[in-house]
Amino acid sequence: MPPISGLYRDLAGLLDRRRVLTGREDLLAYANDATPARVLPAAVVVPVDGAEIAAVLRYADRRCIPVVPRGAGTSLSGGATPLPGSIVLDLKRLDRIVEIDKANLMAVVECGVVTQRFQAAVEDVGLFYPPDPQSLSVCTMGGNVATRAGGPRGVKYGTTKDYVLGLEAVLPDGSLTGYGGKSVKMSSGYDLARLLTGSEGTLAVITRIMARLLPLPPARQTMLAIFPELDPAAQCVADLMAEGAGPCALELLDRVLVNCIEDFLHMGLPREVEALLLIEVDGYPAQVERDSRLIEDLCRRYGSREVTVAADAKEAESLWRARRALLPAVSLRAPTVLTEDATVPRSRVPEMVRAIRRIARANQVEVGVCGHAGDGNLHPAILADRRDPELMGRVARTVAEIGREALKLGGTLSGEHGIGTHKAAYLEWEFGPPGVELMRRIKKAFDPNGIMNPGKIFTDG
Amino acid sequence: MPDLKDLAAEIDRCSQCNFCLAACPVYREDRLESSGARGRINLVKAALLDQTLPVSGRVRELIDRCLLCTNCVQTCPASIRVDDIVAAARANLPNRNPAERMLLRRLLDRRAVSGVVGSLLKGLNLFNLPSLANPPLQQRLPAAVRPDGPVSARVAYFVGCGVNYLYPDTGEALVKVFSANGVEVVIPAGQQCCGLPALARGDKEMAREAVRANAALFAPLDVDAVVTDCTSCGYMLKVQVTALLPPDDPALPAAQAVAGRIVEATEFLAALGLQRQPRTQAVTVTYHVPCHRHWSAALADAPPKIAALVPGARFVPLREPRRCCGAGGAFFLSHRELSASIRGPKIEDIVATGAQVVLTQCPACRYFLQEGLGTESGVRVMHPLAFLAGGC
Ligand SMILES: Cc1cc2nc3c(=O)[nH]c(=O)nc-3n(C[C@H](O)[C@H](O)[C@H](O)COP(=O)(O)OP(=O)(O)OC[C@H]3O[C@@H](n4cnc5c(N)ncnc54)[C@H](O)[C@@H]3O)c2cc1C
Ligand code: SF4
Ligand code: SF4
Repeated sequence: MPPISGLYRDLAGLLDRRRVLTGREDLLAYANDATPARVLPAAVVVPVDGAEIAAVLRYADRRCIPVVPRGAGTSLSGGATPLPGSIVLDLKRLDRIVEIDKANLMAVVECGVVTQRFQAAVEDVGLFYPPDPQSLSVCTMGGNVATRAGGPRGVKYGTTKDYVLGLEAVLPDGSLTGYGGKSVKMSSGYDLARLLTGSEGTLAVITRIMARLLPLPPARQTMLAIFPELDPAAQCVADLMAEGAGPCALELLDRVLVNCIEDFLHMGLPREVEALLLIEVDGYPAQVERDSRLIEDLCRRYGSREVTVAADAKEAESLWRARRALLPAVSLRAPTVLTEDATVPRSRVPEMVRAIRRIARANQVEVGVCGHAGDGNLHPAILADRRDPELMGRVARTVAEIGREALKLGGTLSGEHGIGTHKAAYLEWEFGPPGVELMRRIKKAFDPNGIMNPGKIFTDG
Repeated sequence: MPDLKDLAAEIDRCSQCNFCLAACPVYREDRLESSGARGRINLVKAALLDQTLPVSGRVRELIDRCLLCTNCVQTCPASIRVDDIVAAARANLPNRNPAERMLLRRLLDRRAVSGVVGSLLKGLNLFNLPSLANPPLQQRLPAAVRPDGPVSARVAYFVGCGVNYLYPDTGEALVKVFSANGVEVVIPAGQQCCGLPALARGDKEMAREAVRANAALFAPLDVDAVVTDCTSCGYMLKVQVTALLPPDDPALPAAQAVAGRIVEATEFLAALGLQRQPRTQAVTVTYHVPCHRHWSAALADAPPKIAALVPGARFVPLREPRRCCGAGGAFFLSHRELSASIRGPKIEDIVATGAQVVLTQCPACRYFLQEGLGTESGVRVMHPLAFLAGGC
């Protein structure tokens, strides 16, 4: 990629030059997200407000320079990986919680606010923002909206998409657009907020989010159920939901992954199990107690030999910390780990788990199965090595076959990580050529020059 | 600290999750990902291992711009040893100032006379520097101090440089408090620096020499523990020493034996309990947790416990007790502005508690916080044991 002449000078004319980076030493830190690809952009700019974003977009649009919006760079789909010659927009400095409106159960935040900080702020006033991607200590609200991020609580509370009341965004031509606001109901015009939600930076830069909140549930309980076999555990998940036990989190870990975590944290998890279910219930105390009992009975009926209930919040937190440590724990086992997120209707979880095992065997790839099983969102962790092209070929086949299988079972390619670059090639499998063509036309309407994160969602920008 | 090549596997272990980002005090100031831990280790890999990036001034700057505070390590789900990686990178950057090295060496093996150290420190132009301990603490303390009554435990006291040269009151307090509570303290003569400052500079050989000398001195002692009143010395003596020496180093077994007995002094005392009730001190006290805290689970709980034992003392925790103060050992000497701005919120936090006394177990934190608070504020920063001694 030849350097773009005058780029630094031009950008430094748009915002404080200390917030314009073009040296390779600095660009390197932006060359990747949490996926293996590394691509140096041409520049990184760090705007502090919508006006600076608009100025940069207007400039890039005129010169047809690709722009890659970036939150915390934790994407697992390659969505935040730069393109050669692109300008990366680091949005973390737009980090104000503008308003928490208790009367209307909503809040207004800038896109760079870190999810955990936002959750803590609303919980301080007795409110609740449920979406809990496991990266919440670092990822941003903008990144969450742009990927429709979800987490364990998705099983009861849905994902980020269910908490977007409205958005403000800057379009590639520098104009500001807004949709939605404080009212819970809205039936006017096309729902642009929904359209931008999950757009992975390919349509516009989301600058502000009007987020829906709930009252904070007064009680919660975390449990751990141990299964000697994987199949009944997966079956148990499906039945738990059907019986109306209503857990707010239902995570499945198989033997490979339990052992990864144990190697790593030495917290005394049983190594000889085939599956663990990590379950949480919340609500009013009486209901929490009822649901806990129901779940315990059900787990036992499916052959769980041990169900333990966390004694207190600290013990519960340590179980969740173990869950969040999963990716780093797995990365001890292999130089590169790909976290898949194909999702199926929850009744098909047992079939999907079997299929993943079969696909892994056929391609001779080691795959650990875990996931937010309660909502059918599995996260097979594929152990790989990006320095080994032959292995990476088999890994790519594995990813593709898992995706195809999920679709066959009535599911989707991605439950929460987005399509990014990783699954762009398979988009037509899910939507067919007409579906993808319609999406392309929508993209064109927002971004006629194709500068917004090209190569993501669609292979060819 | 192993070689950078040995650390290549450690770098590869990083899953690139970026969970460490906001833990880094330098990132929080610069707000550029190149200033965070993930950026820094990727830079080290590209510039020094893969050599796909020339070692430019900016590469050096980014590698130097790290406090080795380990906040990233403590946040990282994989505990990637970012501080070791950065220190090893420094060792691989040539052209270190030889005059500086000589001075550091004289300081470290404590052969430097106070005059030399004094002029060195004066040259640094430090604000309200306490007058230099003359002679240094180690030369003032007897070889052993026995309690008047029965002896419940026997410890060896490792005298760190900060306390030896600048804050002898801490060491004197340690000896006083320990012996008042039935603990015999032995203070072997001929101690050297723990070696961490040399390591931070990337000078492994110099650090090894200090480690070997200290291991030979402490290993033969018949004591229940080797106590240190400095959390950074503790990190070095407990964790770093054994990785620093090569596997076939003759001093390794002794160093390991000593490492196994290292206990932070406040923690030791809090676990032991007080035999004598301290005198009343009607003051408000708060506590700054030094960054080098992860080598012992209880060391951050001990100072509030100690404060609670002093009648009249009111303990008010900081809003963010674990936030870095910006000192980073000697880091603040070379990064004045950066360190001062890292310190800003810490000072506000302290002032908001209304405390007259700030406890902390690190001499660098103590110096730097006191400098930030100024003298007129009336707020004094001291070691928890010195606070206790005041009430003994
Ligand atoms: C260890 C680990 C665990 C994870 N666990 C989960 C999980 O449980 N659930 C889950 O859903 N995800 C998970 N993720 C993936 C990732 O954290 C999420 O996709 C998250 O939403 C990304 O947020 P970010 O701020 O890091 O965005 P980035 O990674 O920087 O960007 C993600 C995408 O959003 C776009 N984007 C970012 N900000 C904006 C904006 N303001 N406007 C327009 N586009 C924007 C980018 O262009 C990119 O396409 C995990 C990642 C890691 C490393
Ligand atoms: S050691 Fe401290 S300053 Fe250095 S990268 Fe880690 S957190 Fe940042
Ligand atoms: S150093 Fe640790 S926390 Fe930081 S990116 Fe690497 S694995 Fe994640």
